Amino acid sequence: MNHLLLLMARHGYFLTFAILLAEALGLPFPASIALVTAGAAMASHLLMFPNLLFGAVLALLLGDSLLFWLGRYSGWALLGFLCRVSMNPETCILRSAESFYKRGKATLIVAKFIPGVNSMAAPLAGSMKMRFSQFLYLDLVGSLLYATTYLLVGYLSRDFLAVTLNSIRAAGRVMEVLIIGALMIYAIYRTVQFLKYRKYGMVPRVEVQDLAARLAAGDADKIQLVDVRSHGYYDIGAERILGSIRIEPNNLDEEAKNLPKGKDIYLYCT
Amino acid sequence: MAHLLREKGFNTFVIVGGLSAWRKAGGHLESVPKNDLIKLPTFA
Repeated sequence: MNHLLLLMARHGYFLTFAILLAEALGLPFPASIALVTAGAAMASHLLMFPNLLFGAVLALLLGDSLLFWLGRYSGWALLGFLCRVSMNPETCILRSAESFYKRGKATLIVAKFIPGVNSMAAPLAGSMKMRFSQFLYLDLVGSLLYATTYLLVGYLSRDFLAVTLNSIRAAGRVMEVLIIGALMIYAIYRTVQFLKYRKYGMVPRVEVQDLAARLAAGDADKIQLVDVRSHGYYDIGAERILGSIRIEPNNLDEEAKNLPKGKDIYLYCT
Repeated sequence: MAHLLREKGFNTFVIVGGLSAWRKAGGHLESVPKNDLIKLPTFA
């Protein structure tokens, strides 16, 4: 704990600002832990509350504002990137947007406390055409609440943190064994999945020239072209291969009922 | 998706290079119909 406090004494303001800015930009940095540590440093009279709060709020506003404007002008691209850890990025985006819309703009005030929502809120607000002045006001209130809460937690629990850090050090060996065990279980799971799906073999891949030749030879009535792109690519003015249909990847069971069984199905995306 | 459709009994293929390759080869295109577009809800 003393090493941590020494680090905070020397670089606390900069570290707090940098970590909060990184998290506000969507990077996986532990902003709440940084604030709690800074709060503990406050309790030790190494750092001052007004300076910490100013730096923290500034970092959050800068990061969120950048993501707001990127969300406004990049739309699905940024949201898809932030949802990349999801099994289905498109569903992740649509559900987040609907949840945000239903709960209203005031969601921004508590968004930072909710894992998953914290990095999506700012770009969603931009994509959903919220006024920037309104966003800035709500984000300021949310940032103040977030920073103050965790600084206070750190300030009040400094002694508890010291005990916790010592316990973590002692439990380090146990953690190593647990992590290695978890990685081995995951590797076994992936191997089983690979062996399970290997039996399906490779799906035949067709060059566009060969497809065009087949269509020109009069086989068009034996072929169904299917666009499997996500809705995110369907901006106004978007194009697709002539004669193709779109199927919703997230609703394959229902969509498959409408596909012609007697035809060869050619799938494509971007 | 191709694997899943094969499980359901469809004879599926994948177009190498997708829409980009088709466009580059000069293949015929059409505009996506408006009723296929889905947009996020907006506050404006």
